[in-house]
Amino acid sequence: MILSVGAFIRVGALLLVAVVLQISALSQIGILGGHADVIVLAVAATAFYGGAIPGSAAGFSAGLLLDLLTGATMGASSLVLTAVGYAVGRFRELRDPSHGLLPLPVGACATAGWVLAFAAVSLMLDIGARVSPLVIRDMIVTILLNALLALPVFTGVRKLLGPSLAVDPLELRKRRRPPREAGPLGLRGLEV
Amino acid sequence: MYDRNTIRRRRAVLAVFIALSIVILTAYFGESGGGALHTMQRGAQETFAPIETGATKALKPFRDFVAWAGDTIDAKDQNTGLKDEVERLRSDLAEAQTSLRDANQLKAIRALHQENYFPAATQPVTARVIAKSPTVWYSSVKIDKGSNDGVRVNQPVIAAGGLAGKVISATGGTAEVRLITDGESGVSAQVFPEGVTGIVRPQVGDPNDLLLENVESGRRVTERTLVITSGFTSSKGESLFPRGIPVGRVTRVDFDELETYQRVHIKPFADLRRVDVVEVLTRRGVAQQAASLPGGGG
Repeated sequence: MILSVGAFIRVGALLLVAVVLQISALSQIGILGGHADVIVLAVAATAFYGGAIPGSAAGFSAGLLLDLLTGATMGASSLVLTAVGYAVGRFRELRDPSHGLLPLPVGACATAGWVLAFAAVSLMLDIGARVSPLVIRDMIVTILLNALLALPVFTGVRKLLGPSLAVDPLELRKRRRPPREAGPLGLRGLEV
Repeated sequence: MYDRNTIRRRRAVLAVFIALSIVILTAYFGESGGGALHTMQRGAQETFAPIETGATKALKPFRDFVAWAGDTIDAKDQNTGLKDEVERLRSDLAEAQTSLRDANQLKAIRALHQENYFPAATQPVTARVIAKSPTVWYSSVKIDKGSNDGVRVNQPVIAAGGLAGKVISATGGTAEVRLITDGESGVSAQVFPEGVTGIVRPQVGDPNDLLLENVESGRRVTERTLVITSGFTSSKGESLFPRGIPVGRVTRVDFDELETYQRVHIKPFADLRRVDVVEVLTRRGVAQQAASLPGGGG
């Protein structure tokens, strides 16, 4: 990712909108006991297209903003989202994936990592109450909802970050398409 | 694929962010409520409050649509009129039972009776929920009324049906409310008509099942009885809720002969997952004072 002022502004605006949208609307819409979480999707998408460094920076910023606005324990969300952003970014850098449907598993795995790690951090820090088994159901619902939302969110983030991307995975996909085999000049198109 | 500098830079960035997060966490736990990070948090909340309010209003049709679809799928057959009537009757019943119990007990402490220890009227401030915590681990909402409207820390908050939580921080125009389903919440409560007392604690992740803990095994609690706030201070030093606010209804009692305490399951009256409007009781009743005195408030 090309680090420029424009890129910083775009990513900052993206994270701000994601956090405000999350706490103002999506958190209040319960579906089967859970709710979608676009914050982790925004961080994962930034990391997927930008790499590990922008991913971890986006995760830290989004987590800090979330903790600031919700009054939760400061540092907990940023700690987990930093790790999520870095992990997704490293996955992209190491594996260099290019399949068009990859946002689905990436979004689901990032969400799973977020809810599980955040649960662990919360339990270690200051949750003294009993934990209902229904928490697991909520986590699963959130992961499934985020998997459904991943494709449009990743597409939107890709368009938003487009001017700042050094390498676009989808462009890679086009490049990797095997060259079309053709016969002699007069028989092209007849798959000879 | 990458040179050593790139790898070093990448690892350094990760280490810096992780270290920063841990430093913030440690500092946050170490400082008092008036510390720098808490102040920054309140400042950020106040700054973003207009944006959140606007977003909440703008997205309300969308939320309503989703809620409507959900209700249709669930085939809920309750109608608004009956709900309102049940809520009103429930409040009336709790109020009548509280008054009766207060009258019987205050006869025995005539001296205290002279000191105006009856529950005083509270002054409710109606507020709209403008933001909600996105995780099940921190169950809190933000409301669009703050210290400028008379809202103060530790004041109780009620929603349609019963107790919702208490104010944990307030800025000029907003306030943060910790719901009774939050992992850190603890509400002193008593069961009617038995008078058994305990502490209502949540089960994280299940807002429809609260637990009344520290209930002595010797005093039986029956199902479908009413649970209201007792006015006592809980063991965690929570604020005093005025006595008589309905909390929920007993659904099940886990009774083990080997245990000293029995565990009472309560279904809260307030639907805290779909709370849009709440009331902050900005002037707490003085019944809590009576309850804290010897023999007062059972």
